[in-house]
Amino acid sequence: MNTQKVDYMLLFRGTTWDKGMSPEQIQKVVTDWYAWFERLKEEGRCLGGHPLQNRGKTVSGKGGQVADGPFAESKEAIGGYFYLQVVDEAEAVAIAQQCPGLPYGCEVEVRPVAEMCSVRARAVNDGIITADIFHETIGVR
Amino acid sequence: MLLSRGEHWDKGLSTEELQQVMDKVMAWFEGLQEQGKVKAGQPLAPEGRMVSGLSRTVADGPFAESKEVVGGYLLLLADDLEEAVAIAKSCPTLDYGITIEVRPVLEECPVFKRVRDQLALAAA
Repeated sequence: MNTQKVDYMLLFRGTTWDKGMSPEQIQKVVTDWYAWFERLKEEGRCLGGHPLQNRGKTVSGKGGQVADGPFAESKEAIGGYFYLQVVDEAEAVAIAQQCPGLPYGCEVEVRPVAEMCSVRARAVNDGIITADIFHETIGVR
Repeated sequence: MLLSRGEHWDKGLSTEELQQVMDKVMAWFEGLQEQGKVKAGQPLAPEGRMVSGLSRTVADGPFAESKEVVGGYLLLLADDLEEAVAIAKSCPTLDYGITIEVRPVLEECPVFKRVRDQLALAAA
């Protein structure tokens, strides 16, 4: 039996899902969310996760210009993440489908964690660079 | 948490340039590790799924515009936002069009905190 696990990241998108809901409704969703997180951790399927603050900075360009984020509150803004260790993508998607925020407009992006950045992988694949220097990465453990 | 946004930043680079950037990125990452600043950091594969809605629909990417796609993350142990921003500014791929989003990690969900405060206020 193949018990090799793969790492996935769930990115929760949307930081405005609570608009128009009563405090009691919101509390129910968030309580469910915490219970879901704890259960996944107990089952060993989730290794970690955090909410992100609704503020931050964006750094871009050659000079490393710093700007306040455009991501404070929007449908696409990332509000938090879970780090999963699962058998396959189907399991990661099934977990994402349990997200208590989904009925309220929150979206879950399911992304496989890669051994190598896609630019490097492409370059190795094209024979442009060799893969001998393995870029060691560290997962959320 | 640093979120690296943008893909295909290698477009138009020569083999030598690409190799140089890769080496710089590796040296940068290893340097941060040596300083004990990195809790975790990994690239994300360019594919994936999006789950949304009441019916929990599953769709293939794209998730965002190409320049917005999250290509990787770095979970830092920084003293404050300022230090995290300074680390972000030292990332070598900024020169090639990558944008880095710097976001403080929270222990408690901000929505939960807001609603708790509201309920406490209502009870008072």
